[in-house]
Amino acid sequence: MARFFRRRKFCRFTAEGVKQIDYKDLDTLKGYITETGKIVPSRITGTKARYQRQLATAIKRARYLALLPYTDSHDV
Amino acid sequence: MRHYEIVFLVHPNQSEQVPAMIERYKSLIEGAEGTIHRLEDWGRRQLAYPINNAHKAHYVLMNVEATQDVMDELSNMFRYNDAVLRNMVIRCNEAITEDSPIKAAESREERKPRREERSEQKQERTADASEEAAEE
Repeated sequence: MARFFRRRKFCRFTAEGVKQIDYKDLDTLKGYITETGKIVPSRITGTKARYQRQLATAIKRARYLALLPYTDSHDV
Repeated sequence: MRHYEIVFLVHPNQSEQVPAMIERYKSLIEGAEGTIHRLEDWGRRQLAYPINNAHKAHYVLMNVEATQDVMDELSNMFRYNDAVLRNMVIRCNEAITEDSPIKAAESREERKPRREERSEQKQERTADASEEAAEE
């Protein structure tokens, strides 16, 4: 029995009508990576497929430029 | 002519060279009848992971309109310049001129203390002024 009602997932990007997810918008991107630096799957976040693809590209670009980490175990 | 977005990271020890480098790239692009739509110097930033044992790097963002030849030349210059840790060129559909989120966040941080100073000055002047500031 599902006693607890989970808060309904929704796609933030669809709601805001984002045209293109920017890899420089770190505050937004940080909401879609785990503590270990992985990209959070859309089945968890509820992001629409179109935006999930953009999100993945944006996060990968940000990682290449060392704006975001690839993992939490980079030797610092 | 196409629109491109260029980001490059300069080694922090070579930070002083950045204005000269920007000038050089600028003259290269504008010399070939290209245009620079946005130029941002994010300054020295902490890297999310070390690159070539550097923990910080000087970031520069440029949005330009240029020909393929110029872009080839530019990426060649990046490749043979040891001070450039990393570079990324992205093709864009249109000219982007507004501030990037990173630059906007930076200027927000810079502005914040200044605003506090201003409100303090107002409070010192008159009690009425501070009320107005609160209403704002």
